[in-house]
Amino acid sequence: MALLVVENLSVGYQTQNGYLHAVEGVSFSLDAGKSLGFVGESGCGKTTLGMAVMRLLPSNGLIREGRILFDGEDLLTKTDEEMRQIRWQEIAMIFQAAMNALNPVHRVIDQITEAIYTHTPSHNKNEAHEQVRALFKFVGLPEDRMRDYPHQYSGGMKQRAIIAMALACKPKLIIADEPTTALDVIVQDQILEETKSLQREFGVSIIYISHDISIVADICHDIGVMYAGQLVEYGAREEVFDNPSHPYTKALLSSYPTLTGEKSQLMPIPGEAPNLINPPFGCRFSDRCTEASVSCKSNPSVWLEITPTHKVLCHQCGKHCGE
Amino acid sequence: MELKRYIGRRLVQIFVIFFVILTVLFLLFRLAPGDPVSRMVDPNLTPEDAALLIKEFGLDQPLLMQYLYYLKNFFTGHFGFSFHYGQPVVQIIWNRLPNTILLFTTSIILSALVGIFLGKIASWHKGEKTDICMTLGALVTHTIFLPWLALIMIWVFAYKLGWFPITGMITVEIWLDPQAGLWTKALDVLYHMTLPLATLFLIHFGSYLLIMRSSMLDTLKEDYILTGRAKGLSEKVIRDHHAAPNAALPVVTSVGLSLAFSINGGALTETVFTWPGIGRELVFSVSHNDYPLAQASFLLIAIVVLLSNLVVDILYAYLDPRIRY
Repeated sequence: MALLVVENLSVGYQTQNGYLHAVEGVSFSLDAGKSLGFVGESGCGKTTLGMAVMRLLPSNGLIREGRILFDGEDLLTKTDEEMRQIRWQEIAMIFQAAMNALNPVHRVIDQITEAIYTHTPSHNKNEAHEQVRALFKFVGLPEDRMRDYPHQYSGGMKQRAIIAMALACKPKLIIADEPTTALDVIVQDQILEETKSLQREFGVSIIYISHDISIVADICHDIGVMYAGQLVEYGAREEVFDNPSHPYTKALLSSYPTLTGEKSQLMPIPGEAPNLINPPFGCRFSDRCTEASVSCKSNPSVWLEITPTHKVLCHQCGKHCGE
Repeated sequence: MELKRYIGRRLVQIFVIFFVILTVLFLLFRLAPGDPVSRMVDPNLTPEDAALLIKEFGLDQPLLMQYLYYLKNFFTGHFGFSFHYGQPVVQIIWNRLPNTILLFTTSIILSALVGIFLGKIASWHKGEKTDICMTLGALVTHTIFLPWLALIMIWVFAYKLGWFPITGMITVEIWLDPQAGLWTKALDVLYHMTLPLATLFLIHFGSYLLIMRSSMLDTLKEDYILTGRAKGLSEKVIRDHHAAPNAALPVVTSVGLSLAFSINGGALTETVFTWPGIGRELVFSVSHNDYPLAQASFLLIAIVVLLSNLVVDILYAYLDPRIRY
């Protein structure tokens, strides 16, 4: 059974210039123990999507329609108090360490045990400390640094501490939002290895949000490509990689260098993403798409199933298949 | 250990700064209009007697020698005699200082605690009625001219209603009564202190409230607040345990500075309420040309400012673990 099912989710923000459609009609499902990656450029709605699942949108954010089923229960019908219980106990987050995700005035150990005490008040101090010790060992942090303050850590150590914190209550789902973005490539690689191993050992499901398609490809079973608030291509990693169908996915793949394989010119994507306060009626990528036709701009795009596990939101693909 | 070394280093710095202040003060009093000789020596004396007195005071010596005497006297605790009271200056200051410290430390700590608490509440209800009322109230009381408020307080609560005494710090009869216990005396001082304390509180709590409010609003945008929410912490824990300690840091600086300047800034309050403290003595000594008393009061202010800054720095290191020296 799927652990998380999101159906037709639309989220927006009330801004001074009008209502901003940050996420529109996104549906996906994630099985227990699997990982799903969302890629897309800045402002495509991937962070909003993660925050909506946690119901942690800023005060001007609004979930307009859709359902978020977690373990069969709709999170959108939960009261604030019920939601508070679910957070971290069931769904935890890994924040970007470059952000000030750890409180500077409290010791790292206290910030982790705080999560443990909040959700399992029966734990005594020794048990909680023992648990933190085990988590530190797992993420490869030295035990004698548990009582340090966050500013005494390097960027990579902070990221590890944040991962340890996310595991503190043994959640079923972890939403990781750009966890390696500010780190150098070597530390980035170590963190990715740890993310993979925590998935193996804890059997936790992961939603991995990144702008870097190569990272998502490295750790996720399924990939969702987002553009301008919409999911435009969704499928198993191999299928999306070997047979990218949406023109945006193709462009995204050819705008990243590869170490192996033949040398090819990197292709930047011309133009910029549409304004989400008044999104275009037709396909949102049509202005930047090299394959777009007149009907792309005049009709909303529709989902096309390429294989049972691979879907794409594009007119042109449909035409090609029909031919 | 690091903290100890830091405090040691700061003490050395403070000593150097104080030495500079000492020197500036020495020169300042000698640069003041009217030379010290004519101010200190009675014009009715015969020129011979005056010369004798000048010699006795060491005022015929070159400036450098005077300066060395001045330093020697300072470090041996000799501040001379007040012209007006005819008592040693040290004794006068020693009598007045506790009164000032009692009034101002109490008022600042009280207004800081209330200001921090109300500022926290106001920021939490940003834009709501609670917030608007608190912010407006703080702005109004903060901008009132202190002596005017003090006079109004005296007029309403002491003169019209007669709830509190108009002047002074003690009721002489109670303090002369051998039967009166410590408790009675303390209550008597508290009774006299209520009006000046309330006045100072009203003037000061607003600025702390406003600083705390805006600091809280900034802190609530921090990422670790989002982490707290994601961890499923209750709003109260987020507010009191995660936001408030970070937000209170700028208030601490402000409190330290207020403490430092309360001694001289208290001149107005102490004069209006005839509170027998250092501030009133300073005004008095300056307006009566009581040269030794004024000099010692100024030095005292310098010491208090320097020490308050040290206290704030140490407090900061305690509150914010990022600050290590």
